[in-house]
Amino acid sequence: MYDSIIPTTDTIPVHWLWFELLLIFTFFIHMILMNFILGGSLLTVWDLLRGKLEKRASGSIPTLIALTVNFGVPPLLFVQVLYGHLFYTSSVMLAIPWILVIPVLILAYYGAYLFVKKRDRAPGWSKAGLIISSLFLLYIAFVFVNNNTLAVRPELWGIYFENPGGWNLNLSEPTLWPRYVHFLLAALAIGALGRAISYRFSKMEEKEKTLQIKRNLKIFGGITLIQLGIGTWFWFSMPQEVWKLFMGGSFFATILMVMGWLMTLLILHSAFTGRLNASMILGGLIVLLMVIIRDVTRVAYLDEIFHPEQLKNVNEASPLIAFLITFVIGLLAIFYMIRLILKPKTPQS
Amino acid sequence: MNYPVWFLPNLGGGLLIAIIAIMHVVISHLAVGGGLFLVLTERKAVVTKNAALLEYVRKHTWFFLLLTMVFGGMSGVGIWFIIALVNPAATSSLIHTFVFGWAIEWVFFIGEIVALLIYHYRFGKMDDRSHMIVGWLYFIFAWLSLFVINGILGFMLTPGSWLETGNFWHGIFNPSYLPSLIFRTSIAFIFAGVFGLVTASWLKDAEMRQSVFRLCARWMYIPLLILAATGFYYTRVISPESFENLFHFNRESTPFIKVLIVSSILLFGLGLFTLIRTPKFIQKTGALLLVLICFGWMSGFEYMREIARKPFVLYSQMYSTGISLSEMDIIKQEGFLTHSKWSKVKEVTPENMVEAGAEIVRLQCLTCHTLDRYNGMMNKSDKLTERGLEALLTGMGKVNGYMPPFAGTEEEKRAVAAYIYRELHGKVSEAIQPHRPEEIPLEIPEFDPSKDEFVLLVWNDLGMHCISDNEKYFSFLPPGNTLHAQLFKRGALPEVITEGILMEYQVEDGYKHPGNHSMFWDYDTEIFGVDLPEGTGLMGKGVDGTMEAQGGLFAARLIPVMPYRDDGSYNPFPLFTITAKDEATGEIVATTKAVAPTSTEMGCRNCHEGEWAWNDVSGLADLTAINILKAHDRYNHTHLLQDAENGHPKLCQSCHADPAVMAPGKPDVLNFSTAIHGFHANYLSGLDHEACNMCHPGRFDGNTKCFRGRHNDVGISCTDCHGTLEDHALGLLANQSGIEASKRLSRGLEPVLVASKSDIKPRMPWLMEPDCKSCHTNFNIFEDGYDGTAFNLWAPGFEALYRNRTDNHGVMCIACHGSPHAIYGAMNTYGLHRDNHQPLQYQGVAGTIGTREQCMVCHTVEMTQNGHHRNMVNRFPPPVVVE
Repeated sequence: MYDSIIPTTDTIPVHWLWFELLLIFTFFIHMILMNFILGGSLLTVWDLLRGKLEKRASGSIPTLIALTVNFGVPPLLFVQVLYGHLFYTSSVMLAIPWILVIPVLILAYYGAYLFVKKRDRAPGWSKAGLIISSLFLLYIAFVFVNNNTLAVRPELWGIYFENPGGWNLNLSEPTLWPRYVHFLLAALAIGALGRAISYRFSKMEEKEKTLQIKRNLKIFGGITLIQLGIGTWFWFSMPQEVWKLFMGGSFFATILMVMGWLMTLLILHSAFTGRLNASMILGGLIVLLMVIIRDVTRVAYLDEIFHPEQLKNVNEASPLIAFLITFVIGLLAIFYMIRLILKPKTPQS
Repeated sequence: MNYPVWFLPNLGGGLLIAIIAIMHVVISHLAVGGGLFLVLTERKAVVTKNAALLEYVRKHTWFFLLLTMVFGGMSGVGIWFIIALVNPAATSSLIHTFVFGWAIEWVFFIGEIVALLIYHYRFGKMDDRSHMIVGWLYFIFAWLSLFVINGILGFMLTPGSWLETGNFWHGIFNPSYLPSLIFRTSIAFIFAGVFGLVTASWLKDAEMRQSVFRLCARWMYIPLLILAATGFYYTRVISPESFENLFHFNRESTPFIKVLIVSSILLFGLGLFTLIRTPKFIQKTGALLLVLICFGWMSGFEYMREIARKPFVLYSQMYSTGISLSEMDIIKQEGFLTHSKWSKVKEVTPENMVEAGAEIVRLQCLTCHTLDRYNGMMNKSDKLTERGLEALLTGMGKVNGYMPPFAGTEEEKRAVAAYIYRELHGKVSEAIQPHRPEEIPLEIPEFDPSKDEFVLLVWNDLGMHCISDNEKYFSFLPPGNTLHAQLFKRGALPEVITEGILMEYQVEDGYKHPGNHSMFWDYDTEIFGVDLPEGTGLMGKGVDGTMEAQGGLFAARLIPVMPYRDDGSYNPFPLFTITAKDEATGEIVATTKAVAPTSTEMGCRNCHEGEWAWNDVSGLADLTAINILKAHDRYNHTHLLQDAENGHPKLCQSCHADPAVMAPGKPDVLNFSTAIHGFHANYLSGLDHEACNMCHPGRFDGNTKCFRGRHNDVGISCTDCHGTLEDHALGLLANQSGIEASKRLSRGLEPVLVASKSDIKPRMPWLMEPDCKSCHTNFNIFEDGYDGTAFNLWAPGFEALYRNRTDNHGVMCIACHGSPHAIYGAMNTYGLHRDNHQPLQYQGVAGTIGTREQCMVCHTVEMTQNGHHRNMVNRFPPPVVVE
């Protein structure tokens, strides 16, 4: 239908499912980390505004930003391999807000360092750093939501002809706000879970530790409860042919949705009853499930427009093998470095 | 074409890429070299138990982390973002070809981050050995990151055997891989030293500061030696075209070469201050200054790499416009707009020319250019007319391989020219007003065959003669017209007479004062090295004078006649009266008239802008001349305009040899005809005789219409004898194939009238010209041998040229048939028979002398044989004359 403007695709070296699996796996990790920093930052701002900022709170934000960005690279890479022709096109349409993500991210990063490093010597600057950093992270999330929604809606691409200068945020998209709010709430929920986990491994007094864990698990549960409504709003803001897939239109999609609901209920139970381990596992699982649902939704949006199986495979496996070997070596090296950290410092050094 | 283009008319995607990339590249190189710097300095501190040095390393690690991990890491993602926005097609190609290369690089990236975080946060909290192992691991990961990215960057410039195999590893380990890796590793170490100075300059202890400064200096200067050697190696592995883009001809590279040279001198010159003990303030300022210079230095190098890659974004695969080589042919045939997914306009029509041009510019040009700012299109196109812009687009990527060829049809090319000229520059292309001269009545000298004893035939040896009449700026054709005469004593067997005759010539009224209409005599000393009296030509002749006898002919060489008349009118066909007198008695034995064509209708202004210089009719205007010199200076690194403005204009042939003016020129420089035709053929290709008339005074709506002989009347055009401009140029270029410029000018040309370049005979201008017998095999075109073109069939030798050839009796062919391009009967717009005075005088009809068996012009008895050449008598059908 939109063949006249959809760019032609390039070839891929191995079967498309490889990229699909790598995309889901790496995006899952990126999502967890992203939720930790976005949700964690916002919760810290909330603490700050209430005057209940803890002395040791969220000192790991800069490190988490580094890891989040790093784990954002592979899903961005693999999504470009599978959907690059759609993604590049939508990126050009909102080029200005899109490229601003980079300086904004750099400033958010430095803001986080300002927050951590200047807490004692310049508390004002430190607080400003945190707030600016959090606002900038919200901006980045908003632009990503815009780009990802526009990429799967070629029927909207005509807007380019009216404004080729790169200012086309996809503000008329019906799913834009429910999607943004849904993801923000998810970030807050997982951020709270992350904080609970961080308290678990902290060296604070046991009683205070338990209190903080329970408090954050309650936030996790409470937001998940709100998410029931927001998620439903998001679900039904999608085109009918998409949301119906999850209501019997597709067996696989419906099973995923049912699992999602069940898991949500379990999360509510574990969170409100203060079960950290169960919440951790369920929280991780639901993020993975949502990543998969997100993928199924994208395929549904692009029905009759494009499917990655249409990409021509030129069958060149050796680079994939090299990557897998490198990946294992990389993991071993990281494992080795962590072992070195844990090694006690010798007296003579 | 495949993707929409981010419309940034005043900023340009190229500049955005450059800004982000240069900042990132400096920091990312630092991230590699700095890793080794940290761990080796830490080792030194530990071994020497130097706590102050160890503290320096700890502080430098924090500075290093903030710079490399935050700014370096994020700006690396920034490059990815920006290239995908500015050139999505190329980005997509790189992502899909090297997806696992990028993925491997990501593994190294995460190893790098984890190692650096541990190195920083656990500084002093781990045992020394473990901490240094982490430091080493950081450096190894960082360098491996460069190891992969270097392959992909190198692939963009030198894809090597990947082009045939498509193999991932061939792409990564491409021809420039090794030199680039060593080169970049050296840069990384140099940057480690420079940035090390920054933290060092803040150290409180002066001794310590100086000690670290010395250490940093070693990091700066030792890798410099490797860098210099590898730089040379690097230039050896790139293609000759890339090398030419960088170091020859292409003027775009000049500023970046200067930046690289100046910043190198500054960096390594000023860097020596690190070895001298200076106050802390100077050390701080110096360190920061050197950091700034690093950015300039890197921008010089990276820009040069980009320039070497032009006109491609992916060498030999995809042009910087995002159009693949494989798509080019079909786009040229079927149109860019038809194939562009993101154009509102799909077809060029006379009504939408400007709009269509704007679409093409947006989608094809703005990837690199802005409209009027950095690398702006307007300031690169403001010296050309709309037609000139069309020519520029035709020649794009040919002479100067820096720009990609224009992708589109001829119509689309015209649309782009219309948009740039009319819309961007706001100029209006004025339609050429055809010149309508007044016809001057003929005054034919008398001839009585019953009693006149002599026949005088006079001609000009160049039927299409021009003067470059703006000597203030340059000259290549001074005023100078040569008349030849042959005097026959009539009889049964006429004789050619030269002895005892005084041959005088006199120009008609109105042309008597050429000095009033020419700058030639103001610049004769400067340009020609002789100070001539006003009105006197280079061979000592004036517009009235005598001819010298020489080998059966009379000649007056380089008569300085101008087309501008004293009454302010223009007529490029001044008429001379030639009188033969008995030298002894002074008695007039014969008189006739002949035209000495002398046009100033130089077509330069068709492309190079400018009005007519003389009364809105003809002549080379200052603006045109200036624009020509600017173009010459730009391409050839000359300073002709500056010289001219300082009162030292040049004769073009002072460098470019030319047999026409007996100029030896300079070795290794193309001769004049070859240079001017070879260059312009690239810009005016695909045309027939219109290309010739763009420059020469032959166009139908021009003020000369110099091609006025019988050939024109029967529909024969310039290209039938000389070949198309491409053929013509290739013949000349083949004759000078040993000169580098010949290769550059001929590589973009394709012959039209022969199958391949190898079929074209090398040709020396003026000495090798079309042979009449190519068509007139037996002095009659209706016999065998006529194949429609005389191109490539040059007259066999100097004596065989039309202007030099005689029959067996010493009668010049040109004497009876008329001047080249004005073969009898000619039709002149300044009076139909202005060129036909002699045929009308001697035989009453405007055809070849003796046509229709009028042998009685010279012979006093009836002739029944072909005396001069075959097919003279009993020819059927009879020859044509102009009534």
